[in-house]
Amino acid sequence: MTNARRSRRRSVLRSLVRRAAQRLDRLRRGFVSSSRAAGRRARQWLDRLPRPDELPGPFRQSFWRSPIRGPWLTSVLGLVLLAGILVLFATGLLSYAAYNPDLSYLNDQTPGKGWLGFYLFSWPTHPAWLYRLNQGVHVTLGLMLVPIVLAKLWSVLPKLFEWPPVRNPAHALERLSLFLLVGGVVFEFVTGIVNVQQWYVFPGSFYRLHFYGAWVFVAALVVHTGLKTPTVIRALRRGGLLRELRTDTAHTRPEPPDAGGLVSPAPAAPTISRRGALAFAGAGSLLVLVLSAGQSIGGPLRRTAVLAPHGQDTGSGPLDFQINVTAAQASIKDTETGASWRLTLKRTGTAPGTPVSLTRAELLAMPQHTARLSINCVEGWSTGGQSWTGVRLRDLARLAGADRAASLLVESLERGGSFRQAVLSPAQIMDPSSMLALRVNGSDLSPDHGYPARVIVPAAPGVHNTKWVTRLTFGS
Amino acid sequence: MKRLARWYGANPLHLLALLGCFALAGYASAQLVKSHPVAVAVWFLGAVVGHDLLLLPLYSLADKSALAAIRHRSPRLPAVPWINYLRVPAGLSGLLLLIWFPLILRRGTQYHASTTLSPDPFLWHWLAVTGALFLLSAAMLALRLRRTPHPAASPSSASPNEKNGHNPAGAPRPPPSPATRQPPRTARQDADEPGARPPASGPPLGTDQEPPDPGHPS
Repeated sequence: MTNARRSRRRSVLRSLVRRAAQRLDRLRRGFVSSSRAAGRRARQWLDRLPRPDELPGPFRQSFWRSPIRGPWLTSVLGLVLLAGILVLFATGLLSYAAYNPDLSYLNDQTPGKGWLGFYLFSWPTHPAWLYRLNQGVHVTLGLMLVPIVLAKLWSVLPKLFEWPPVRNPAHALERLSLFLLVGGVVFEFVTGIVNVQQWYVFPGSFYRLHFYGAWVFVAALVVHTGLKTPTVIRALRRGGLLRELRTDTAHTRPEPPDAGGLVSPAPAAPTISRRGALAFAGAGSLLVLVLSAGQSIGGPLRRTAVLAPHGQDTGSGPLDFQINVTAAQASIKDTETGASWRLTLKRTGTAPGTPVSLTRAELLAMPQHTARLSINCVEGWSTGGQSWTGVRLRDLARLAGADRAASLLVESLERGGSFRQAVLSPAQIMDPSSMLALRVNGSDLSPDHGYPARVIVPAAPGVHNTKWVTRLTFGS
Repeated sequence: MKRLARWYGANPLHLLALLGCFALAGYASAQLVKSHPVAVAVWFLGAVVGHDLLLLPLYSLADKSALAAIRHRSPRLPAVPWINYLRVPAGLSGLLLLIWFPLILRRGTQYHASTTLSPDPFLWHWLAVTGALFLLSAAMLALRLRRTPHPAASPSSASPNEKNGHNPAGAPRPPPSPATRQPPRTARQDADEPGARPPASGPPLGTDQEPPDPGHPS
């Protein structure tokens, strides 16, 4: 390459760089001037808006008269709610893991969860009360938080009508996140509450709505908690937690004006103290606890759950305990469960053997095992401990020639439904209490309890205790 | 950076946190709205509207009406803050109805078919619990009244506030706490003045009531 060509090339390069720099500079200047113009336009727009005192009703700050509204009350309610919702979120995630969705697509009610299943682990079988406690807490605490959510939302309602509706981009984005927060919390509570009452009005699968809805809500909650922490600390430092809790109605005073605009500029005389308002919400929580915990505790306390779906006493016979799907509802015919019924044992893998077919009498002739276990529903109720007798799943695995089964596909006679089949994990197959139950409390199973045979696995979600079992397929 | 912060209206960390929030929420919503996008959006929006613009105004209105009804009663009402003896049982009963109305009003049509349990008792249980709450509240009010002198015996100069129970037993109103102490109000100060305390002898307004608006032509 000659020197002349080299220098020509250099000059071309230089001019390219110069032109690029000029273009960048023009862009930058354009951006600055256009952002300045946008800022000017936004200010003009804000100036053209009517002033709050020219507006009707709730957009005027003086519309809001409660003397107890203010950062102190909102902060205390927010802290209580935050603690409760953390427990709800944790128990919710655990309940999701309890289905072992990673084991098989058949267990996965929310395919497409992607990263949101990052924490999944193989659900244990010990302690046997694990799922009962988890769901009892999730559902009962969820119900108990309803009055706290209502009180918290009441305490911040003036913010819905704040004026101007948007002050700057930061304010706009934060309000959008508050829409996700409020929409999310109400959405989660409503879907959960109507689902436990079997009123399936929501659009689509409960699992999908409640699971992804929770993540949308939690995304907004994390940011809200982060942004509001300084406000909460300030409010509690100034108001003093104990001082306010010792203040009665007669001594209740409005808080000094706050930056957030919660404190009324024209407060009415107090009709309730702040501690009274907290006690009101707390009494609601307590009442809900007393009237629903019985359905998950069981025994003589079940009847205290007078408004809960599974609070009714079903009698004292061996088969008198709670069910959630009847044989009639699942269209199980007598002809399928009678003398012609056979249990098929299969093994998949490199060398699948011939399937084994067993009658109920043959199953009863095998070594029988008895365990006292409860069936615990995702809806938060429990059957309480029942004495189940049947053949251990690990004995059936050996019979099928799959001593070290990696999975077990349980299939029911049911024709439809999300849970007509379930896949169990190695831990669930090998647990000495896991069984194909044939009898309960010394009596043959009834059709509604899954006659001729049903699966019972400790600590598994209720729907994984498949009823009317027809085939067990062990994977290797 | 500074210009960005000024234009944005907050610390850039604020923007970062919110973008993180929307990223996660967007990721989850993609799955949330997969099968019924419009219906799910309607449910989300309906959740906000249903609570903020329907449920809350309704119960606030009920509370306000109860307070207004008291105001038009005879001044011989007992001098205890009795609105709460009405508010608490009504609120708790309403809470139970709000949570359990699908069972109480038999919305879940599958309930009997799937559980074999009777759907009948829920309405009666709710009515019984409601009755018990009001009875308990009435008993507590009666106990409170026995220990409180009747207002007929107290000086007739008691303010309406005291008669309506904001200030039990006609005790003198204690001084405001230092944090909220204000100079005495003058007639020129309007109701929108931040931090203004309620006038001690003003009408006993309920929570969230439209105040008298002297400065507004009607």
